[in-house]
Amino acid sequence: MATATTRWCVHHPQRAAFALCMTCTRTICQECATQWDGIYHCAPCLAKQRTGVVARSPVGGWLALIVFTAILLFVTARLMVWSGALIAGLF
Amino acid sequence: MIRAPLSTTSVLDETSDAVALAAAPWAAVLVLTSLPWRFLQVLFVDQLIELGGNAAHYGRALGSTANAATIAFIVSLIGRAIYARAINLAAASGRRPGTEAFRVPRAALATYLFTGSLVAVLFYATWFTIIGIPLTIMVSGLAIGTMPLNDRAGIVAPLKRIGRFAREAKTLTALTFVFLVALAVAMVNLLAAFGIGLWLVHGFGGIDISRWEALLDFGTRRFDLLLIAGGIIAVEPFWIAANVILVRKAGAEESGEELRLWFRELAGR
Repeated sequence: MATATTRWCVHHPQRAAFALCMTCTRTICQECATQWDGIYHCAPCLAKQRTGVVARSPVGGWLALIVFTAILLFVTARLMVWSGALIAGLF
Repeated sequence: MIRAPLSTTSVLDETSDAVALAAAPWAAVLVLTSLPWRFLQVLFVDQLIELGGNAAHYGRALGSTANAATIAFIVSLIGRAIYARAINLAAASGRRPGTEAFRVPRAALATYLFTGSLVAVLFYATWFTIIGIPLTIMVSGLAIGTMPLNDRAGIVAPLKRIGRFAREAKTLTALTFVFLVALAVAMVNLLAAFGIGLWLVHGFGGIDISRWEALLDFGTRRFDLLLIAGGIIAVEPFWIAANVILVRKAGAEESGEELRLWFRELAGR
């Protein structure tokens, strides 16, 4: 609570902070805050997201996500057997 | 719906409200998607105990159960994502969530499949250390709690987000302890429910239950394993909701929302 006086909107320095943008983690006032799916975003981040969707497709991110998830799921099944057999062997 | 500063009791208080709003029918979706995974886990552990020291020689048989359990695990992660979204919508609006709970954003779902799988690997790599179990429970809770915040596909951002909310270690530890106690209470209740059920069937139905008594007796391996699985299934909706609420409240603490509450409290005095 000691930092109460330092919480101001980054776009309107005269206004008290209302929420935190979950994308850029900056404090924003009521006017700047837009709730989307229950999460607060500031106007520039929302605009960036909108243009980002059109301008570039995050193929790299999706590819990494799919490959890593597939590897992790494969390892999960193997680890289940290995660690289980290891523990069962102790008894 | 954020009403009080972040603490274990305030998280549990708001969790009960959110669960009351979202439980029907979303807790059923969660339970239905979790059931195959939990049953296959029970089957796997039962096979391990049965094989004992010879388990290493039956890798193929155990592997097929593990593969089936992993597929069921993916289904359960999807169920968790739908339920977490329902809780998030209920907490944000204070109303019963509609079918929009099914519309989990693709990026959020995919990142949760990734973080959920990572937690599973961590769990199976550390479960024999005992301390690994509560630690992975906490990371798993943060993974589902931060899921609604993941709006872009990637592997670094969701992990950073989990790390950011891991700062609430004190509340997370307290919540994990509360839910481990709740799990024990749920198991005792389930055991009592089975006992009462058998007693009623025997007392009023006049049916011979000697075979069922042997099967549903505390101390019977399969029944004990099913009891643990049943306890987890009973507690899971509250645990997921608590983690979603914890992340929401931790986010509000960083923002002005907590300050507004403080000012309101001061003005009220």
